[in-house]
Amino acid sequence: MSIFRLKNVNYKNIIRYPNIEIQQGCTTFISGESGSGKSTLLKLLNGITSPTSGEIFYLDKNITDYTTMDLRREILLVSQQSYLFDMSIRDNFQEYYAYRELENICNEQMQYFLKICAVDNQLDDNCNVMSGGERQRIFTAINLSFPSKVLMLDEPVSALDHKNANTLMSNIKTYCKEQKKKLIVVSHDKTLMDKYADEIINISKEKKNNE
Amino acid sequence: MNEVVALSIGQFSLIYLLLLIVLFVMKKSKIHQTKLLLVASLRMTVQLVLAGFILTYIFENPHPAFTIFYLLLMTGFAIYMILSRNKTINRNFKLIVALSLAGSGIAIVCFFIITVVGVSIFNPQYTIPIGGMIIGNAMTGVSLGLKTFDESIKAQHSKINTLINVGATPQKILIPFVNQSVETALLPTLYSMLSMGVISLPGMMTGQILSGTLPMTAIFYQIAIVIAITAVTCLAVFCSLYFGYKTLYNERNQFLLARR
Repeated sequence: MSIFRLKNVNYKNIIRYPNIEIQQGCTTFISGESGSGKSTLLKLLNGITSPTSGEIFYLDKNITDYTTMDLRREILLVSQQSYLFDMSIRDNFQEYYAYRELENICNEQMQYFLKICAVDNQLDDNCNVMSGGERQRIFTAINLSFPSKVLMLDEPVSALDHKNANTLMSNIKTYCKEQKKKLIVVSHDKTLMDKYADEIINISKEKKNNE
Repeated sequence: MNEVVALSIGQFSLIYLLLLIVLFVMKKSKIHQTKLLLVASLRMTVQLVLAGFILTYIFENPHPAFTIFYLLLMTGFAIYMILSRNKTINRNFKLIVALSLAGSGIAIVCFFIITVVGVSIFNPQYTIPIGGMIIGNAMTGVSLGLKTFDESIKAQHSKINTLINVGATPQKILIPFVNQSVETALLPTLYSMLSMGVISLPGMMTGQILSGTLPMTAIFYQIAIVIAITAVTCLAVFCSLYFGYKTLYNERNQFLLARR
């Protein structure tokens, strides 16, 4: 059964998406050259932006029929650009949970999610002195800890070395499987894709045919 | 008390010599605003001379329509000045700013003239100068608040984008920017109250004392006008931003920050 289905989706007449279907319950990688609209696709799937024309279905219901904020929280997008506040890891969790109007999780839970994302810093460590890779992993951990049914990662390992990239992807995939979270990943890393993808959707080829 | 010394045109022209100092400093520090200095001085002179003629005429031939027209003209000009300094904001936002400034400005002017001073709103001698001070200060405040809001939103673009993705509501994301900007707009007025009467005798009071009003009367007017200015700044900035920020996203909670 498909979780997402696109029908004649056109974004600002720049990107015309093929009528793709994304399957339920597996890890889906989205590939395509840069500029083919991978990141935009993720934003279209959870309604952060709307298509110029065409329809998108989530669980066989048009996404325009969902409440926008609920949809965005259910289908969580972890953007490529990570942003952390200039405070400790714990306070960053606190801040993001406040923005989400959720009760903050306890220290043990924070550590659990940080471990999944291969973060070995302490909760009191200040984020503003950390490297790009560390910040990216902490940001992913915070997002992973939010309740969601679909997790969309946009270039999750762009700032990470091979070892960390593998640990992170493998852990997240395992976690999502356990939690029955649908995982969608945009990555240009071919080896990562071959290793972790159950389903690969290429959007660039079709675009060329259409044009 | 003596009547104020009327300045002759010759004496008066001497004051323009001071602008040479400004010009000299600008040249020395390579501030390329010579043109602005000249245009601003010239415009101020022409506008004020015109205002002088018009006020003379209105005082000699008082008519309610003149007073109201003058008040509306000032409001319209203030709105125009704010919007021309904040061109990037969207159309609905501009409309809200215009309504907020006009609404709070006119409401506070009416309260001041009708309730506090107790004269008719059509009395040009009160409504025009007091209206000018109130609306002029509201203009400065709104302009500052709007600029702060617009610039901080642009500067923190990546934070805002992240918060959108994380699933924070637009209200939750933008309200801190609104609060911060209202504070920034309000602070100069609040600080100016601190030094008032010690470092300077403020403009209105100076004018009244020069023209022979008793200092105590002048002080009451000054206190009243400062409080009115604080209130109008606060109200106009708050309304502009509090209703204005809602134009930054649509009914699907998508941000419309595109135009940069």
